[in-house]
Amino acid sequence: MHELSVLMLSWEYPPRVIGGISPHIYFLSKHLVKQGIKAYVVTCDFPDAPAHEVIDGVEIYRIDSYKNPSPDFATWVYLMNMNMQKETAALMKKIGYKIDVIHAHDWLVANAGIGLKHIFRKPLLVTMHSTEMGRRDGLHTTAEKMIHETEAWLTYEAWKVICCSDYMMNHVKYVFGLPNDKLVMVPNGVDTHNYAATIDYQTFRSKFALPEEKIVLFVGRLVYEKGIHILINAVPKILSKVNTKFIIVGSGYMKEQLLNIVCSMGLEHKVLFEGFLDDTNLMKLQKCADVSVVPSLFEPFGIVALEAMAAGSPVVVSDTGGLAEIVEHDITGVKVYPNNPDSLAWGITKVLLDESYAQSLRVNAYRQVQEKYDWEKIAQDTKRIYENVLREYSKSFWA
Amino acid sequence: MRAIIFSWEYPPRVVGQLSEYVRALTTQLAINKVDVNVVTYDDDVTGLTQESSGIKTIRVSNPVKTHIGVLTWVLTLNQEVERAATNIYYDTGKKNSLIDVCDWHFIPAAVTLKNGLDIPFIYSVESLEDHRSPTAQSSYNMAIKSIEWQGFYEADMINVKSQWMKEEIIRMYNVPPEKIAVVSTSSDTWISDILRLYNTVLEIR
Repeated sequence: MHELSVLMLSWEYPPRVIGGISPHIYFLSKHLVKQGIKAYVVTCDFPDAPAHEVIDGVEIYRIDSYKNPSPDFATWVYLMNMNMQKETAALMKKIGYKIDVIHAHDWLVANAGIGLKHIFRKPLLVTMHSTEMGRRDGLHTTAEKMIHETEAWLTYEAWKVICCSDYMMNHVKYVFGLPNDKLVMVPNGVDTHNYAATIDYQTFRSKFALPEEKIVLFVGRLVYEKGIHILINAVPKILSKVNTKFIIVGSGYMKEQLLNIVCSMGLEHKVLFEGFLDDTNLMKLQKCADVSVVPSLFEPFGIVALEAMAAGSPVVVSDTGGLAEIVEHDITGVKVYPNNPDSLAWGITKVLLDESYAQSLRVNAYRQVQEKYDWEKIAQDTKRIYENVLREYSKSFWA
Repeated sequence: MRAIIFSWEYPPRVVGQLSEYVRALTTQLAINKVDVNVVTYDDDVTGLTQESSGIKTIRVSNPVKTHIGVLTWVLTLNQEVERAATNIYYDTGKKNSLIDVCDWHFIPAAVTLKNGLDIPFIYSVESLEDHRSPTAQSSYNMAIKSIEWQGFYEADMINVKSQWMKEEIIRMYNVPPEKIAVVSTSSDTWISDILRLYNTVLEIR
């Protein structure tokens, strides 16, 4: 029997990093190889990244994703899928059709995944990292409805739909009307080895804060669903009790609006907008942070909280979505009411003012990350899902 | 020989002249003992129908109903066209088939099927975006032209109805002249010329 092989489709893979899917594919594919699986990743191109390379045993193929002019982002996605599908079809032929399962990630590769499933008659799995309905808090425009219907079509065509949290499983089941036996939960993971390096804390933190200032860190896109505006509204309440520097990492359409609010409060010297940071500096900052805050309104999983826990930073999160499952209140972090600046300020202040409490959160959180969110375990679970699907598939007339 | 005809219009759906051309083409092909399969779009009359002439028609609907424009509509519909053609390919023993894709709409499906399953295709040109929208240079028009270009580049042969169209394609897309066959619909030898073109494409493979 030949080794099990998977074809992953994703619109992002390092060095192209737009959101959380890119690191997810990187770690999952790498650890699937360690489980004896032959893994191919087909993804979009990126300046100076080769069209084909092997990283940690994973065959990476980058397609020309800007081949066709496109009037808008959504149309670009469908045109990109056209090219992804064509180039992957040629790749399949080249490797002798030796693919057992196709694993698509999000609607951004829906057309390619569905098309390849039918052409080669292979089972399609999909991981739904998010939904348009969740991201937009409803469906308000024609484009949002189109993306939602594309997501529904993708989940309909999939043999199994993988979600990263129980919350997301329920959400996807409700939004697309899927049967229970089509859904399976596999959490997202974090690589704790990445955070093992020791750093000169004092020198590094002095770039951001005075020695007497605590550091509160936010990492994420500056968009409504991430709840960054709630943190900004909580800043004066926290400053009235603790001398703190707020560091905001990330960018997004709300940035200008947030800067104006901070200026109007006269707190430019207390709230720093750092934009994007490279991985090394981000990890250092996470290790230095006295609190990492995730105030999201919609969060299918909450990888940022998990990364902070792996870095040894106490976390304060909204009691919603995947975050509510990752964090155990008072044990591995602090949960606060979503969309509530008073509650958020209370949670952050509680951690900043009690060092022994913060230390217990750090220790417990790190232990939980190692036990539950290890990539090796996630890869084993994913492999088991592939094997179960192939067992069912072998009884179908496509096999 | 098995011909799989891709057309976004086919009776009873009539948008322009293409519908009647495909109707005449399929009728003549069936008379000449070609196994004729039409894959077309219709949101109301879906599924397989087989006429006494032997013409099999598979009408597919768009799996995504809400769209921001023609391009997204066409690109999602292509998946269903591709699925229908794939089923014909597997159900009929994978051999001796070619695709005749009429106009630009279903070029993506034909290109993928050629690259993945080695099904040859002919691109039959009814009209060009440059002629339909001669002054329009928006990214929308450019995207359609880029799909037409992909059709010219990937097709095994190109079928046009006039010498003028052949010269226009050479002028605009720099296609090698020997790749373009002029098959006039008004010629007495029209269907035998089409059959010769189909056979040529199958022999290349």
